[in-house]
Amino acid sequence: MERLNASQEPMIKLDNIVVKFGDFTALHDINIEVKEGEFFTFLGPSGCGKTTTLRTLTGFIEPYEGRVYVRGEDITDVPIEKRNIGIVFQSYALFPTMTVYDNIAFGLKVKKMKKDEIDEKVRAIAAKVDLSDEQLKKAVSQLSGGQQQRVAIARALVTEPAIICLDEPLSNLDAKLRVQLREELKKMQREFGITSIYVTHDQEEALTLSDRIAVFNKGVIEQIGTPNDIYNHSQTEFVCNFIGDINKLSEDIVTRLTLKGADIDPTWNHYVRLERIHVNEDQRPGVLTVKGKVDSREYYGLYIKYYIDLGSQLIKVMERNDGVHIYDPGDEVTINIDPADLMSYPPKEEAAE
Amino acid sequence: MTNTLKRKPMDATLAFRIIGGLFFAYLFFGFMLVPCLDTLTSIFTTKDANGNVDPFAVIRFFLAGNMGKYVLNSLKLAVLLVITVNVVGISIVLLTEYFDIKGAKILRLGYMTTMIYSGVALVTGYMFLYAGDGIMTTALKDAFPEMNTSWFSGFNAVLFTMTFACTSNHMLFLRNAIRGIDYNTVEAARNMGASPFKVLFKVVFPTLLPTLFSLTVMTFITGLCAMSAPTLLGYDSINPEIVRLAGSSTADEAFPQARAALLSIILAMFTIILLTVLSRYERKGHYLSVSKTKAKLQKQKITNPVANVLAHIYAYVLFIIYMTPVVMIIIFSFRSWESVKARKLSSGSWTLLNFFGSQDYQYTASSGKIKVREGAISGMFSNKDTISGIQTSFVLSVIAAALACAIVVIACNYIFKHKKKGAVLEYALLFPWLLPTILICYSYRIFFNSDSVWYVFNQNLYYEDRVRILIVLAYMVVKLPFSLRMIKASFYAIDDELEDAAKNLGSGPLKTFIRVKLPIILPSVLAVFALNFNALFTEYDMSATFNSTNGRTYAMVIQSMVQDEGLSYTNLNASGRRCASTVFIMVVSGLILYLVYGVGARDLSERLAIKERRRKRLEKLKKTFAGKDKKAEAEG
Repeated sequence: MERLNASQEPMIKLDNIVVKFGDFTALHDINIEVKEGEFFTFLGPSGCGKTTTLRTLTGFIEPYEGRVYVRGEDITDVPIEKRNIGIVFQSYALFPTMTVYDNIAFGLKVKKMKKDEIDEKVRAIAAKVDLSDEQLKKAVSQLSGGQQQRVAIARALVTEPAIICLDEPLSNLDAKLRVQLREELKKMQREFGITSIYVTHDQEEALTLSDRIAVFNKGVIEQIGTPNDIYNHSQTEFVCNFIGDINKLSEDIVTRLTLKGADIDPTWNHYVRLERIHVNEDQRPGVLTVKGKVDSREYYGLYIKYYIDLGSQLIKVMERNDGVHIYDPGDEVTINIDPADLMSYPPKEEAAE
Repeated sequence: MTNTLKRKPMDATLAFRIIGGLFFAYLFFGFMLVPCLDTLTSIFTTKDANGNVDPFAVIRFFLAGNMGKYVLNSLKLAVLLVITVNVVGISIVLLTEYFDIKGAKILRLGYMTTMIYSGVALVTGYMFLYAGDGIMTTALKDAFPEMNTSWFSGFNAVLFTMTFACTSNHMLFLRNAIRGIDYNTVEAARNMGASPFKVLFKVVFPTLLPTLFSLTVMTFITGLCAMSAPTLLGYDSINPEIVRLAGSSTADEAFPQARAALLSIILAMFTIILLTVLSRYERKGHYLSVSKTKAKLQKQKITNPVANVLAHIYAYVLFIIYMTPVVMIIIFSFRSWESVKARKLSSGSWTLLNFFGSQDYQYTASSGKIKVREGAISGMFSNKDTISGIQTSFVLSVIAAALACAIVVIACNYIFKHKKKGAVLEYALLFPWLLPTILICYSYRIFFNSDSVWYVFNQNLYYEDRVRILIVLAYMVVKLPFSLRMIKASFYAIDDELEDAAKNLGSGPLKTFIRVKLPIILPSVLAVFALNFNALFTEYDMSATFNSTNGRTYAMVIQSMVQDEGLSYTNLNASGRRCASTVFIMVVSGLILYLVYGVGARDLSERLAIKERRRKRLEKLKKTFAGKDKKAEAEG
């Protein structure tokens, strides 16, 4: 994180934001601080409030309570167009009746810049996002999904905003293109060094792109942290379930772990990630070894996912595919569960207290 | 950030909203509700001989006299028209879109001719063929001298003409519906052993039912509100009677205005009931295909050879019925008055006089003197009356079509931003849909024929040239519901994020509307403008209801040409000019439909591609010429 600005003043500060739509409270007391140059992601399922938070920051939604600060200045009452925040929309929102050039130049024309200046800026930004002169003359409908995304980014960046907000910009694309553009997006963000707010419901996107992530659920923030914090040290049961695949251990396994001497509360819910369990590994002190039978398997190429029947529960295991140790359904196997790998949470009632 | 970045007070927007609200209230109350309510109240405020108000006098008259005849006649026409139009309409759509009939493309063009000429032009076209002195009747008379030459009049003639005139909607909507059928459902039924006809009745027809229901209601209303065909072919139905009564006075008959009002209200009641039924049915939902991958419909071969031959014969007989008036009108528009008068190609010669120029007519009077009637033969573009009719119709239609579009665009912009208040505005603009056009026009003619309507500054709008304002207002109000339905649909194409994006890039509401939203909806707005213009340019019903010499529209001029036909020394080529006028209408309508569905439907990428092709062609041309110049220089 060296490249982040060491300044104490956060680039963006959302201070106790509450948003209401009639009687419904969409955001409950949201507090976020984003550093300059940071790639910050709002992650969560549909309807969790991540886009509402983004729209509050960009000015499309007025908060019921709380203030929005950029570089320490209160912009809560500043109109959208004067916030100096660029947006890349989910649908890209490229103007279909304008050429690529006119789309990028729109914001500059609105600012009534000189024609030469506009031309210079449009061509410079187009070159940076890899759009050719030929492509600038085209209608946006003539471009591929990836090229359209680049136009949307160029349009958002050409006015030199302090912040860029990206609202699920990859959600409309196919899986392969999504991965490809994800890499390009990260590269571009690094080149421009601009503070970026990224909204997504895709945990993989969030983990691969972000410096830090805020996980939303039902209008509240469950956890803010680095991808590693979020994945390996999930603070809430929701975060641990939402991020990645996970096994919830049955009462039987939990009891066997405590008998083995593990320092865990048997009344809590205990989880273990798939890649932390291994098949037919040597027994280790303090580690629980359980016998089971391979129920089925899913082949992913790099990995193989096994569903192993332990009697009291079906447990998922993700093993690296070495081409040698491959188990068939029906094979008798053992698995090791290390108490150090567990993520534990109090039951809901207790958590509520 | 300085204080200048703080939000500005919303004064301008608020003022704009107040002005807009007042305007729409003025439009709704002043030109939709109040005049029509006045018509309604006039029924119950009739005075008897002693000057006392007798609220039920008209209703007693209606029940005791023969007024019921007009209502029954209209109902009879509407009911039978529903049957005949559906039979012909469904036939032509199936023959061109569903069954494999040889020459389907040509047949389709023939069946679509009613889209480029309708109303008075079409009725007079059929009269030109089948009336007592029509081409076909004359030919038949030569073959069968005993035949009744006035066979083409009254109910049968109206039903025949309107049957073929009213299938345009089938060609538009039913054709779209049948093309939208998922062919996989047809294949699945065939795969399970269903015969082609079983597939048609059990799989295809049920999916078309919602469209057919809408078409049936539309046809019923058209039959009920028929105007030009009954007027010209002589059939006592509601609308021609309203127009007659509107022009009558109490000196001639008992309370004509109140009777006309009662008939208008009866018509409105039927329309309201039918449209309510239609909208309830539409709300139940349509049978939409649930397939994720729709297959394009493939034409079905009629496997039975006898049925196949019969289907072909039926298709081409219909084609002949559709095409004969069109072909004859085009041919006779280029024939001299002698040929047109005789309804024969054997006499007279080919000429352009029905379109351009004029000629004097020399004849021997009964006294034996040779007389010259100056300009007795004149082309439509040289005839003062015709030119004036075209000009009037053109100007009034352009203004009304443009106003309707402008009002609806502003309204739609509001409707999409304000769901609740917008709904009120939407219903207000759809209100004229519930009222027959004849009721609106009749109400205008009576209500504004007074200098005591305060909200039009106590001006009599039916007086002299002002009647044109009244016609424009009526045209505009009548076209509001159609414009709203069409333009509102185009607003759905504007992604909310586009507006947000423009706002984010610093664009204000007006600039966003002009530079981002308007270019997106513009093709649809222009299409609606063109379709409105097309319908109004040759419109007859409304101008006939106003029946003012100061608002004599093109359709009224065409109708008068029918009456002029007998006056041989003054207007010798009235019929030829009428044919030329119909050809002119076909060209204008055809051009508009081409512009709307051909040119107007192109998006930016298509327009850029055409521009690029043109540029390349020009470059190639320049190179060719440059090459030739160099060659010439080298040779020189």
